[in-house]
Amino acid sequence: MTPTHGPWRRTFREDHLAVNSPVWKHCISRLEGELTEQQFNTWIRPLQAVEHRGTLRLLAPNRFVLDWVRDHFLDRIAELVEQEGQGGLRLCLEVGSSTAAAAARNGNGRIARSEAPWGSALNPDYTFETFVEGRSNQLARAASIQVAENPGRAYNPLFIYGGTGLGKTHLMHAVGNLMRRLDPDARVVYLHSERFVEDMIKAIQGGSEAINRFKRFYRSVDALLIDDIQFFAGKERSQEEFFHTFNALLESQQQVILTCDRYPKEVGGLEDRLKSRFGWGLTVAVEPPELETRVAILMTKAQQAGVELPHEVAFFIAKRIRSNIRDLEGALKRVIANAHFTGRPITLDFAKEALRDLLALQDKLVTIENIQRTVAEYYKIRVSDLTSARRSRSITRPRQLAMALAKELTSHSLPEIGQAFGGRDHTTVLHACRKVRELRESDPRIAEDFSNLLRILSS
Amino acid sequence: MLPPQLPLALRLAPEADFATYWEGPNAQPVAALRRAARGEGERLVYLHGPPGSGKSHLLQAACRAATEAGRGALWLPLAELADGGPAVLAGLETVPLVCLDGMEAVAGQAAWERALVALAAAAAAQGAGATLVLAARAAPGALPVALPDLRSRLGWGLVLRLRPLDDAGRAAALRLRAAARGFELPEETAAYLLRRCPRDPASLFALLDRLDRASLAARRRLTIPFVRGLLERA
Repeated sequence: MTPTHGPWRRTFREDHLAVNSPVWKHCISRLEGELTEQQFNTWIRPLQAVEHRGTLRLLAPNRFVLDWVRDHFLDRIAELVEQEGQGGLRLCLEVGSSTAAAAARNGNGRIARSEAPWGSALNPDYTFETFVEGRSNQLARAASIQVAENPGRAYNPLFIYGGTGLGKTHLMHAVGNLMRRLDPDARVVYLHSERFVEDMIKAIQGGSEAINRFKRFYRSVDALLIDDIQFFAGKERSQEEFFHTFNALLESQQQVILTCDRYPKEVGGLEDRLKSRFGWGLTVAVEPPELETRVAILMTKAQQAGVELPHEVAFFIAKRIRSNIRDLEGALKRVIANAHFTGRPITLDFAKEALRDLLALQDKLVTIENIQRTVAEYYKIRVSDLTSARRSRSITRPRQLAMALAKELTSHSLPEIGQAFGGRDHTTVLHACRKVRELRESDPRIAEDFSNLLRILSS
Repeated sequence: MLPPQLPLALRLAPEADFATYWEGPNAQPVAALRRAARGEGERLVYLHGPPGSGKSHLLQAACRAATEAGRGALWLPLAELADGGPAVLAGLETVPLVCLDGMEAVAGQAAWERALVALAAAAAAQGAGATLVLAARAAPGALPVALPDLRSRLGWGLVLRLRPLDDAGRAAALRLRAAARGFELPEETAAYLLRRCPRDPASLFALLDRLDRASLAARRRLTIPFVRGLLERA
């Protein structure tokens, strides 16, 4: 009855599974009467039973559940299996999933090539065709297509950075999906960096054989896609291992793609040698999408969902939700779900009603005071400077930016904004908005400050 | 394993399933969770509502419905698991339906937040293979989440609000719960209880359990005089 699992056996796969064993069915109905509902739902329900050749295998989704079941319920389960199976069944508890095999099957019915012990599947919906291009992401998209067409040779590594929820993961999967379309044998592995760290720690605990398997596996792929590498911050041992894997892949022209929420040099807690290597290939930014792209994203998503979205509704949502694409999609989902549920057509009033809670919450978070505080903090000045009469350049620029942000992010009128900035006239606010628009075109530093502040305030 | 009171031993606790949940104003969230249990609809569902609005009930109902349909499902009450650390989340993207209950218990804890991002990323990569249902007292924007990445992932889901029941709804929920236990709670008795007793659902359902045992032991129907007598003695 010793659990037979290892860190490299996260998923258990077999084609001829007899899931839903009748013996186990009897056992669970007994256990349901004996345990509290909570115990039952948390620990017994997730177990999957596979009965095959005289053995009842109970598959727990992870090590934690397995340990818990073993320590608290296994004796009782063994008794029940003994009774129900009339003593003829061997019981074994292990980490695994009988659905993993089904999940790994892609659309055309064959097993996807990522049936590796590590790494996740690629989401087939994240392709270049479903990616909405705009000024904010066209460079990253172009680079990604080149990488997919010439893996290991165009840009290696490809480093995509930008705020959360702007489409970095989508691009990464799109490269992987296109690579597989061009070469069905390509071994593409996608992994969140937190999972890389978890897997590595397990491998280290598993001894030298396990760590060697881990190394061999990651060094044998055609493309390694690691998401959110800022999660490596402060984890020296993981960085060390990743550094070696990374070098090995680059040396033999295997493609590496990384995403991060900021420019590599700005990630704290990351070794300098890693930061510098990340810059060896191409580093490309994804910016928050501008209004036009946000509208296009909404129209595309609605079309994919088979829903007719009036342009004015898309425009309304895009104008009100500017933080990131995830929030934009979340808002659209809410509108569509309400329309499906009530059977009413999507109109502007309908959308406003469906999003009332969400927008009210957002309005509560973005106030003029909040904007003033954030801008003052960003430029390391005092809030009182912003509302004062001081007219030195180091104060007027931040003040103008804060006013423009207040116009952009709140529904306050120009006179109200002027009032909040030390009782200034509404024409001063208007002038500030125009000035900032001009400077964003002509001065890259101001443009960056503005988009940083916008991101901080609306995320 | 049950306490040795004879009347109780004769009956199973009412199961947290869809049939014992009084929908009232919450038909839309219930419909969404039924879809989630079938593996249809959105990949990430975020349910929020005040304590006692039935979040745990619905999450467990979804898990029950999923497993009855042969799909693996897991319900994790985070308040009780928070101290054990996020190891419990490892690899859960292979479970077709994962319900995480009580997100406020782990929001703001760095290790949990990182593990939640990793799980959400892995589940998103699975595409149609994995559904995550999260429940919390607050809407995603009002939950004190520190990681911007987790915050935006929560907002990406289908967000549904559970509204608390009014008095008529509470009475209906009580009577439905009684019926599931196999006894009848007359309408006027339900109204009487709501006038006299703490009205949060947890207290009301606990009271219902007491009344059930008492009526069974005394072989009496739950009339107002009988219930009044019981409450006065307590």
